[in-house]
Amino acid sequence: MGRGRTAAIAGAAALAGSLFLLGGGESPQAAGAPARSPLPGDPLTGEEITRAEQIASATLRAHMTSGRVEFLYVERDDDKAAADRRRADAYIYDYGANRLIVRTVDLGSGRVVAERAGKGVQAPPSRGEEARAAELLLADRRHGRAVRAAYAGAAGRALRSPAELGLRALIFSPRPKDRTARECASHRCVRLLVRLPDGTWLNTTRTVVDLSAKKILTLEW
Amino acid sequence: MVTVRLPLLILSCAALVAGLTGAAHVPPAARASAAQAPSCGAPYRIERTLPGGAAWRLCWEMRTIEGLTLADVVYTPVGGAPISVLRSTALAQIHVPYDSGEPRFHDIGTLGENAVVLQEADCPGGERRERFVCVTVRPRGHAYLKPRPGEPNLSAQGSELVVYAAFEIGWYTYLVEWAFSDDGAITPRVGATGSLSGFTAAPEYGWPTKRGSTHVEQSHSHNVFWRLDFDVAGRGGDIVEQYDFTGSGTARRALGRKVLDKETAAVNRRTRWWRVADSETRNADGHRVSWEIGNSDSAEYRGPDDEAFTRADLYVSQYRDCERLATVNPAPDCAQSVDRYVNDERLTDPVVWVGVSYHHVARDEDADPMPTHWQGFRITPRDVTAENPR
Ligand SMILES: [Cu+2]
Repeated sequence: MGRGRTAAIAGAAALAGSLFLLGGGESPQAAGAPARSPLPGDPLTGEEITRAEQIASATLRAHMTSGRVEFLYVERDDDKAAADRRRADAYIYDYGANRLIVRTVDLGSGRVVAERAGKGVQAPPSRGEEARAAELLLADRRHGRAVRAAYAGAAGRALRSPAELGLRALIFSPRPKDRTARECASHRCVRLLVRLPDGTWLNTTRTVVDLSAKKILTLEW
Repeated sequence: MVTVRLPLLILSCAALVAGLTGAAHVPPAARASAAQAPSCGAPYRIERTLPGGAAWRLCWEMRTIEGLTLADVVYTPVGGAPISVLRSTALAQIHVPYDSGEPRFHDIGTLGENAVVLQEADCPGGERRERFVCVTVRPRGHAYLKPRPGEPNLSAQGSELVVYAAFEIGWYTYLVEWAFSDDGAITPRVGATGSLSGFTAAPEYGWPTKRGSTHVEQSHSHNVFWRLDFDVAGRGGDIVEQYDFTGSGTARRALGRKVLDKETAAVNRRTRWWRVADSETRNADGHRVSWEIGNSDSAEYRGPDDEAFTRADLYVSQYRDCERLATVNPAPDCAQSVDRYVNDERLTDPVVWVGVSYHHVARDEDADPMPTHWQGFRITPRDVTAENPR
């Protein structure tokens, strides 16, 4: 279920809206880009971010709609060899193949000029993935009950939606002894830090959300 | 006494230095202009002349993953010409292993998405850029003080340009700061504040906080890594040297210089330091201009076998655009951690990675809001000017 929702966000229809929303003041990237054409070392503008996502996603639309492939975010390309050009790296995750894809978009020519892809390598979780990890956690009987109880204790009322939680996800890479999370060596797994309305954070450090398998794992230590 | 030779940068002629390095030769004119043209515009350009007359110029960017990133850093000594120092610098990781062995965090996720909106009071006397970055100037105490017989003391108060942002990563708030001093020094540092995690442990792995001895707050390390792509005196020609002083237990201490011409993982020693010099540019005294890196304040955390990136304190790697973070590097077809970037490759364009550890043993005073604990290192000019730049 989580996958379906995110697919809609990453889909063409919602694409522009979600990004403009961020560019409008929520995200530090391109927060208030000046009304001039950017110099080579300026951060990407909101318009460039949107365009880079569209260009990088063009050949992946069907997979994105099905939820197999997910767009994560765009970062300004900082390759010294192309320092005079406006280029953007689009981070994309292929959940079907558990593969990270980084597509470099030349914003001048409007083309993908490079692609790197690989398994077992992870880029930081996106906002969408944080939300999905929270949904998976809440959907889990034991963990969901614990989070709801902690929320009710802190807020004085029941949790209505995951959006009421402060979320921060970090990539979880298993160490050799993490037997219960061994699959995270090839899956996309995150640790989800959850902030309650009273400013405290839940102790979720033993909990790992396997976004690839849509499973909650508990570390043994 | 009044006559002071103005620090003047002299771009050495090609003949003088030809053959000293394998790096491609860049004509002095091109190098000078490299320091002239900033690659960014307002509000991402920072240009500030400090009260004493020295100036700094740089670009900032809030990157999705690395957060606050500074680029094209150029220093202008009092009365001197602009000289470039860094092409880019950013945090490369904050590794936080707890003393019982678990948990172990790699705190750089999407730092740029976690920047704290700074209020006016969070940027005293300064200017906030796009709500997340503070640019301010603050005093740094005596630049020098020398009594003179029959005359007032020869003294001056120094100041520094400071650029910082704050990031909320779970319990911790990290202040990520670079200070650019009027004497040409750069101090990158990270302050950890916010809250303790509240993770408890057996008594041998922590310190009792709160009332009594039932809550043992777990000790942990903050292992902060910085990535520094130097561009001393223009693009190209950077060489890295390591200095040691032999003679422990003896009266004499001899200077030992080692050119790091291949990728290197180096550990700290009490008197060891490094410098990044330009192979061609010399100051008015005929000495190579350079910036020195000291890293003596680290707790030098050394982790288990699967954390080989903790086994050295300073790494020098050949520039590769995909090598951005010291661990969990988010790039396919690329090594995953800084220890793997070092493969004996010949250095023609060195990137320096500095790791500084702080071992945090909680105390009662760390109760909410936790007082900031700082860690960082110093980058100081060595022979950039021919005299004290004042
Ligand atoms: Cu700490």
